[in-house]
Amino acid sequence: MSILEVRALTKSFGSLVALDRVDLKLAEGEILGIIGPNGAGKSTLFNLIAGLERPSAGAVYYRGAAISGLTTDAVCRLGITKTFQIPQLFPRMSVLENVFVAGLYGKGVSLGPARYQAETWLEFVGLADKAAAAAETLSLPERRRLDLARVLATDARVLLLDENMAGLNQREVAASVALLRQVRDRGRSLMVIEHIMRAIADLADRVLVLNYGEKIAEGRPRDVMRDPAVIKAYLGEAYT
Amino acid sequence: MRFLSLGPGEVAALLLLLLLLLFPAAAGAYQIRLATVIFMWAALAGSWNLLAGYAGAVDLGPVVYYGVGAFATAALMLRAHLPFLVSLVLAGGVAMVIAYAVGTPTLRLRGAYFAIGTLALAESAKQLALAWDRLTGIPLTGGSAGVSLPLSAGYLLFYYVMLALASLVTAAALWLGRSKFGYGLRAIGENDRLAEASGVNIHRLKRRVYVGSALLIAWTGGTAGYWLSYINASDFFGAGLTFQMVVMVLLGGLGTPFGPPLGALFLTLAAEILGTRFVYHYLIAIGVLIVAVSLFMPAGLAGVGRLLRSRRAGVQP
Repeated sequence: MSILEVRALTKSFGSLVALDRVDLKLAEGEILGIIGPNGAGKSTLFNLIAGLERPSAGAVYYRGAAISGLTTDAVCRLGITKTFQIPQLFPRMSVLENVFVAGLYGKGVSLGPARYQAETWLEFVGLADKAAAAAETLSLPERRRLDLARVLATDARVLLLDENMAGLNQREVAASVALLRQVRDRGRSLMVIEHIMRAIADLADRVLVLNYGEKIAEGRPRDVMRDPAVIKAYLGEAYT
Repeated sequence: MRFLSLGPGEVAALLLLLLLLLFPAAAGAYQIRLATVIFMWAALAGSWNLLAGYAGAVDLGPVVYYGVGAFATAALMLRAHLPFLVSLVLAGGVAMVIAYAVGTPTLRLRGAYFAIGTLALAESAKQLALAWDRLTGIPLTGGSAGVSLPLSAGYLLFYYVMLALASLVTAAALWLGRSKFGYGLRAIGENDRLAEASGVNIHRLKRRVYVGSALLIAWTGGTAGYWLSYINASDFFGAGLTFQMVVMVLLGGLGTPFGPPLGALFLTLAAEILGTRFVYHYLIAIGVLIVAVSLFMPAGLAGVGRLLRSRRAGVQP
């Protein structure tokens, strides 16, 4: 059974249709890549699933139950949460406290376990030595890893990662791909928006391509990247 | 996590509380009255700090609950002939109900819109209170003439009630510094969208602290009304009270447990000392003091200790 299912999901802003009757299924433990040109509706898709925006039509199902209409915090406690395209943090809290708060409220554990788990997640993403630093002092790659530790601490089973590798160099991208594989091995299902095609080809089990709010292709990464419609809309002729 | 282990600041605060409990035995009526004023402002500023300093919501209408507390306490004493403390407790309940109803929609406003909305609310509350008796036919606020209360029991009662309120507010702030609820509020104050995406029910948490803060402000207002034995809507719903709370918190240290009592102490004493020496010009001097503190101590008086410690640590190799 799929852990997440999206049926005919539609979002219009006035006359602009940002997302047009998109269907998708995410299997438990799967990594689904979402690609497409800027403005294709990728972030809108994430916002609708995570409850940041309300769909104009269609519905989102988590483990078979409809969740559209729930608030973001309720969706998070249920088991779906997202990172932000521009990494967000609680600037004057310590790095540890950033993760700690997500455990307290997202997972709903008490102070002691939340602190211990926050330390474990910081270790996991490689930020343990920064635990006591103020979050606002982190560099961009560190902020992205903190964002990841935060969503892991909420104990959500479905993670929506919005360009979590943007701005990273090649070495950092490779490390990030390895880290996300480990995240999957820890029982998470992932949807990943990414522009770095090599990372998507390495990481994703399946890829879904959006263009002008519509799904134009879906399948294994290597098949999708050979699809003429995808090349025309997104990758460009030079890519082949 | 620490629960019963106390930090040095908390131990000092408990010792100070012990001294203040014994203070009336050694002090004259004037000193006791002055201390009562300081406690009152510490309670008010501290209550405002709970919402603004921790959850980051700048409320410019806390005075609504000050007025509600005063008039509800007076009405219960005068019409229902209840004793003062019973009336005070019940008036707190009235304020909580109103705060719950008002907070549910207004707390959804963000940033400056919440500040403007609550400021408008306070002005509306004042006009409503002024017109209440005429509009409803139920005597409650006495219109612009106000309400007189029986001359009160004696200043010691007010000293201890105000001390209890100031201590309660400070203890609440200390608790926020180390509790799950406090961490949730701080997360909201720093980045409310991210807090929501991390599972924090931001509306429920904000409403809870808003209602709690309204209760403490209403108790302070009810006590102040009986103490002064005369209340009227223009004074008890006046925006001046709100701004004094705000200035005291900013002077003392926003989002710190001991900032508001420090701000209350500093500003009340400054006004008292300067007001007796320079009867006509003391407000200018207070203005200069406020500007100086905010220029040279942006973290407030409570931040000075931390600043000195870091300076000292900085020069040592």
